[in-house]
Amino acid sequence: MKKLIKAEEIVKVFDQGGESQTVLSHASLDIGEGEFVAVMGPSGSGKSTLLFVLSGMDPADSGTITFDGADLSNMSEDELADLRRTKIGFVFQQPTLLKNLNIIDNILLPSLRDNRKEAKWIKKRAEELMEQMGIGELADREINQVSGGQLQRAGICRALMSGPKIILADEPTGALNSKTAQDIMELFSGINREGTALLLVTHDPRVAARAERVLFMSDGRIVSELKFLARGREALEKNLIKVMEKMNELGI
Amino acid sequence: MFRRIIRNDILKSRTVSFITLVFIAAAAALVSLAALLTVHLTGAIDGLMIQAKTPHFLQMNTGQPNISRLESFAKKNESVTEFQVLEFLNVEGSEIVIGANSLAGSVQDNGFSTQSSSFDYLLSLDGTVIHPSDGELYVPIAYGRDGTAQIGDKAVIHGKQFTVKGFLRDSQMNSLLASSKRFLISEHDYNELKNFGSMEYLVEFRLKNLDDLGAFETAYINEGLEANGPTVTYPLFKMMNAVSDGLMIAVILLVSALVVLIAFLCIRFTLLEKMEEDAREIGVMKAIGLRTLDIKKLYLGKYTALGGAGCIIGGGISLGLSKIALKNIRLTIGDGGNKTLAISLSIIGILLIYLLILVYVSHVLRRFHKISAAQAIRFGGIEETGKRTNRLTLSNNMFLNTNVFLGIKEVFQRKRLYATMLSVVVVSAFIILVPLNLHHTISSPEFGTYMGIGRSDLIIRMQNTSNDDQMVKETVQMLQSDKDVSQYAVLTSKRFTARTITGREEPIKIELGNHSIFPVLYVTGKEPQKQGEIALSVLNAKELKKQVGDIVVLTDHGMETQLVVCGIYSDITNGGKTAKASFVDDSKEALWNTICVKLSQDVSVDKKVGEYGKSLGFAKISGINGYITQTFGPTIRSVGKAAAVGMVAALFMTLLITLLMIKMLLAKERYSIAVMKSVGYTSKDISAQYLSRFLLILTTGVILGTVLANTLGETLAGALIASFGAASFQFVIDPISAYLVTPLLLGGTVLLAAFFGSSGVKNIKISQHIKE
Repeated sequence: MKKLIKAEEIVKVFDQGGESQTVLSHASLDIGEGEFVAVMGPSGSGKSTLLFVLSGMDPADSGTITFDGADLSNMSEDELADLRRTKIGFVFQQPTLLKNLNIIDNILLPSLRDNRKEAKWIKKRAEELMEQMGIGELADREINQVSGGQLQRAGICRALMSGPKIILADEPTGALNSKTAQDIMELFSGINREGTALLLVTHDPRVAARAERVLFMSDGRIVSELKFLARGREALEKNLIKVMEKMNELGI
Repeated sequence: MFRRIIRNDILKSRTVSFITLVFIAAAAALVSLAALLTVHLTGAIDGLMIQAKTPHFLQMNTGQPNISRLESFAKKNESVTEFQVLEFLNVEGSEIVIGANSLAGSVQDNGFSTQSSSFDYLLSLDGTVIHPSDGELYVPIAYGRDGTAQIGDKAVIHGKQFTVKGFLRDSQMNSLLASSKRFLISEHDYNELKNFGSMEYLVEFRLKNLDDLGAFETAYINEGLEANGPTVTYPLFKMMNAVSDGLMIAVILLVSALVVLIAFLCIRFTLLEKMEEDAREIGVMKAIGLRTLDIKKLYLGKYTALGGAGCIIGGGISLGLSKIALKNIRLTIGDGGNKTLAISLSIIGILLIYLLILVYVSHVLRRFHKISAAQAIRFGGIEETGKRTNRLTLSNNMFLNTNVFLGIKEVFQRKRLYATMLSVVVVSAFIILVPLNLHHTISSPEFGTYMGIGRSDLIIRMQNTSNDDQMVKETVQMLQSDKDVSQYAVLTSKRFTARTITGREEPIKIELGNHSIFPVLYVTGKEPQKQGEIALSVLNAKELKKQVGDIVVLTDHGMETQLVVCGIYSDITNGGKTAKASFVDDSKEALWNTICVKLSQDVSVDKKVGEYGKSLGFAKISGINGYITQTFGPTIRSVGKAAAVGMVAALFMTLLITLLMIKMLLAKERYSIAVMKSVGYTSKDISAQYLSRFLLILTTGVILGTVLANTLGETLAGALIASFGAASFQFVIDPISAYLVTPLLLGGTVLLAAFFGSSGVKNIKISQHIKE
């Protein structure tokens, strides 16, 4: 499988009130094209920072990250923005939509940056995606007129609009009730089946059990990895048990 | 703790705190200065007029007055306490040379007097009555101020040598608005010069009670006494003395209003920015049960400190500045004014500024009530209400670039926020354009027609003398034989008496002759063409309450002549009260004769002025442009300076406010910027959105400002010009400076500020503002 993301020895240090805190400490990982990887770990283990660094939103202090063969550290701010807009879809834990745009405009926002001439086609695609996500009728709603789950679906639509190579999702179901969370995970699985790679941070073992691999983080490092030989509905129960065993073993 | 919070806050936003402090100090200094100057000016004028014993009623007369008739009138009239006739020896400017400076180019009527024995004294700069010795010359202070004369200079008057011994204050003619200036010499020297100039007489009265002035004036006119020249009364002298420094005070007050406005905008933007930044903390304070008033106090504290410091500094500055600003008043008018009153008023002014600031800060802080604890903690910002997004949607935008569209959409969504910025641009455009257009208008050749002067090339003016007719005849003969002259018109000014609606008789100066050769600007109607017609200047028409078609009745020893008003015209010459008619009159002496001349093409006006100056020694010759620049030179220069200062001030204000506004917006929109960046918008994209917002505001502001300058500004400038007697004022606009340079300058300033201001977008880190 061709490597999409390759990260080696990443270090990220934050300055917190004059004291340095190492959030990522020589973390290394790689993600193949179309692969579904989950990241688990206790709070403060560096999971969210890992996603921010891999997407180019935060620069790593040391180590190398290549995306599709290109070194992120050699990219300008504009090139990193282009990368996020065209090849990476990012889904945040809290829906991060702009308050002054309605739902469909929020979804169209990244795509219309470059392709305004194809506005009609882009709008059609957004409407199709919204239909698929079950929020087709909410296009013209203000963001304070819809529920958290619906906002999260809108966020996923926005991430999918450019047909990205990978979706980076930071606890996308963390703030949702279990029914909505399950629906969202079904959507993610579907997206992955269509060939989009998925790197998903989660606390929920049931979510992690859907992945091909689960990476376990602690103190800014990848401390363990779990690979599932079988996937699908039948294997889900077995995988869930393996994840929970690993969590117990690592004390997560 | 309270003090530490305030100190930290001020130190954290050092630049903006300093700018706010500077503006508060400037506003306090200017208001205090205006109060100090007002008290000083009124006190000094009163002091000067009391010391000089200014006449309550002055009648200037060009012919020898009948002294015994005047004396018996003064004795008979119970209001009169003192009466005198002073001589004023008018000497041609070219005959007066002080040091290396000749007064040949002076538009003032310069003349010589001796010291009065009973009242209307000419005073030295220390307020004493001057008694010059032979060979000593005392020069009006106006010539000291403009550097024409210095103490110790040698002066030559018609070949006679003098030494400038000092400067004098003249309670009548000190002001530049007074068209005559009196020099003081000894009796002996005066008698030697007496035959070289034309004599004017000042018939002066002092009354028991100034309230009787109106009745006295009527009695004087009814008696048919000397009235061959302008009449000036005590209140008018006072007004003339006050007007130039009064205008300075008015300008100071206007500038201070502008400075207060800028200080308010600084405070507003800084406070809004701070509240956005602190929204989460404010939410927490509310959540733990602190009262809104307590939180408000934290923020009010900073401005109580800044305002207090600014006002104290401003007060100090005003005391320092007042010494410089008072220098002119002290020199021209003298010392005076109640010091305690001046200081009290200045302190009241400063306190008023302080209070205004605190009230305004408190007003801005009302937004605290709108902050919901839960919202502020969850979103880290203040929720705005009433935003509609549905009208302008990205999904329906088919034409505009996405960044431009987002910028424009933002402005339409938050109209109230951007209205402040819009008003700054409108005010800036207005402040730049009105003085600029006024300057261009009064320096344009068309403006002569507002002055009551037709568009001729040169003017020959002859003051009344005994052989008037002969001189006019000689001049006309010369003009007729001069091939360089294409047209000329002889206009003779005479004094008549008109009956007002109330039956009162008022003196009226009428210029007789053919007025169709060089017509002036008529507000309504046209020039007099028939014998029975009269045209009135705007001020005269207003005073006589006449309109076109009405009848003006002239009375002369019981005889009545009826004239129909055929036109009303703008005039700012001779105090603005003039009239024009074409009937022939041989019964009265001319006050003066004016001959307007139009030269053939390609004839040099300057050369002709020099030529006529030599051959017509008895007349004053001026080229029309020279005449306008001389009469209006200082005004044109002042308006020019005001235009330049207005432009610099407006551009500075725009730059500062745009920068502050962007800073505030960046603080407010950190989250949105982070979201934009996270989905792949570059810092340049976001800067482009900011530039679009400001470009939209700029375009709208410049258009509105230009329209406002050309309507309201024109009306305001017209009202100013109208107070001098001109009407139906219209701007003569220079399209390049008004419609190209001004928008470009304003645009450049706003876009520059927006460009540099929005560079802060780069520093907004996604991970710091999207809280997970």
